[in-house]
Amino acid sequence: MTDEVYSDLMREFKEGKYVFTGELEPEKAGNVNEPIEMAKELLGLVVACNVTDNPQSFAYVSSLAASYKIQKETGMECVYQLRCSDRNRMALLSDVLGAGTLGIKNILALAGDHVSLGDTPDAKPVFDLDSTTLIHMIRKMVDEGKDLGGNEIADPPKLHVGGAAAPGAAHLKAEVGKVQRKINAGVEYLQTQVVYYTDVLDKFFNELGETDVPILVGIFPARTFGQADFFDKYVAGVDVPPDYLESMRATKQIKDKEKKKEEVDRVNIEFFTKFLEHLKGTPAAGCHMMAVGYPRIIAPLKKVME
Amino acid sequence: MIAQEQKPMEEILGYLEGKQKVVVMGCGGCATFYHTGDKKAVNEMAEKLEKEGKEVLTKIVMPLGMQACETEKCSIFLQKNRSAVENCDAIMVMSCGDGVQVVTEYTDEEMGIAKEVYPVNDPLGLVGGGPTKFKETCQSCGMCELGKTAGVCPLTSCGKGLMNGPCGGVREGDKCEIDPDKDCAWVKIYKRMEKLGKLDAFEQMNDPHEWSKMKRPRLFELEKPMGMMDMMGAMMNLNTISGYMSMMFAKPPAEEEEAKKE
Repeated sequence: MTDEVYSDLMREFKEGKYVFTGELEPEKAGNVNEPIEMAKELLGLVVACNVTDNPQSFAYVSSLAASYKIQKETGMECVYQLRCSDRNRMALLSDVLGAGTLGIKNILALAGDHVSLGDTPDAKPVFDLDSTTLIHMIRKMVDEGKDLGGNEIADPPKLHVGGAAAPGAAHLKAEVGKVQRKINAGVEYLQTQVVYYTDVLDKFFNELGETDVPILVGIFPARTFGQADFFDKYVAGVDVPPDYLESMRATKQIKDKEKKKEEVDRVNIEFFTKFLEHLKGTPAAGCHMMAVGYPRIIAPLKKVME
Repeated sequence: MIAQEQKPMEEILGYLEGKQKVVVMGCGGCATFYHTGDKKAVNEMAEKLEKEGKEVLTKIVMPLGMQACETEKCSIFLQKNRSAVENCDAIMVMSCGDGVQVVTEYTDEEMGIAKEVYPVNDPLGLVGGGPTKFKETCQSCGMCELGKTAGVCPLTSCGKGLMNGPCGGVREGDKCEIDPDKDCAWVKIYKRMEKLGKLDAFEQMNDPHEWSKMKRPRLFELEKPMGMMDMMGAMMNLNTISGYMSMMFAKPPAEEEEAKKE
């Protein structure tokens, strides 16, 4: 394993800083204007932003193209999310080399949701590699300058690879076994799926035990009741607490836009302040704020951790 | 066995638009087992087609053990019905895709008769289990991984075919992200490894699967084909006979459930 540091994200981990990352979502459009605007608002608040790759298997702008454009036009460091669902190992390798060429410094290696769950359900799912073997491949490319078959790569890419963990998985022991596999494969940091319950998180950390790999805990302050409800109903392994859901539902009744915004912020700040206070006592190295399209919530939540 | 089900009648009739004379051909292999190509199924299909105004020139029923996918066996039945095959507009084959293609290739290349050959069934995969519920557990990938995964094939039984799972989408009750009626293969692998006392192996990465072993179409050659004598020998064995006898006297699953309740 190399000790080289290629990205600001990795630098902050190594320096022991409490790390904050954000999330940007390219859409089904011929441009990435909106995520670019969001990235500008997040500058200075987070060290890097994940750029989603066909989230929930909805086919959107290429995450690699979006990562490059966002990074180039805003200076926001991007974490290029890369799914195995849509590419075989050759395409994955090409995209990793492409990412290196375009100056991308971080990749989050994901298996990805099954294509049948999204808006292109008749697509042939690929999954030639999985998240663990993708992590292994990227480490081999970066550290040894070789591909999976052992072929030499001239001027290997210089980037870091992270992986995901699901603390709320129905079978925690099997999930942790898989996370351990990612650690053995050389994952450089982990980012958890969204968690709302502190006891779910505690159980995960206990089951995982000690590790040198920094872990970012995923939180999702919802901008609307609909967003929170979607996570509760449709995202596997994520349960949203009923009290929080009810408070968010109540904001739907407020007609005045500004007052509604204030109330949504108040609900989120109240709920996540307690959550983040708890986070201080866990081994978490930071927090991934999956607040897509909701940049104004980042600063007040960050304050809790100061 | 290759599980299969009959296509919707509209699709079958769609193939026959503008065609009048048909040959309906069954299969004495898996299709007989799954009631999609046995004598009854062939008769019913012929009846339905006649009701739709088609003329069924002949019904080819292949008895159990006579599979449409084996050229040698299939050819006997096609040759016997040569004149119907020559005079029809289409041959409707009630088998898996192998059977349909053997009929296509044999009629075209060996009999010199180029006819439309249509599938009546949709093949659903290599399955195990029974007597009434089956599941796909093997995809004949050419490089069996079961030795690494405690006897559960993740390429087939995991919805995503992951060599390293489970994915983050395991549902309540250890069910699959894609279909809550299906079990998560990787949780099953975990539980098997736990029972076998080899959870350490669960934390080790499995290499990517070698898909190079599955270059399609795969060709396969036997040094010595199975002759009739071999078949008889395999069947007339004491263990085989006692096995058939036990099956004969076994209660159907529904009755067995009732008996348990009593």
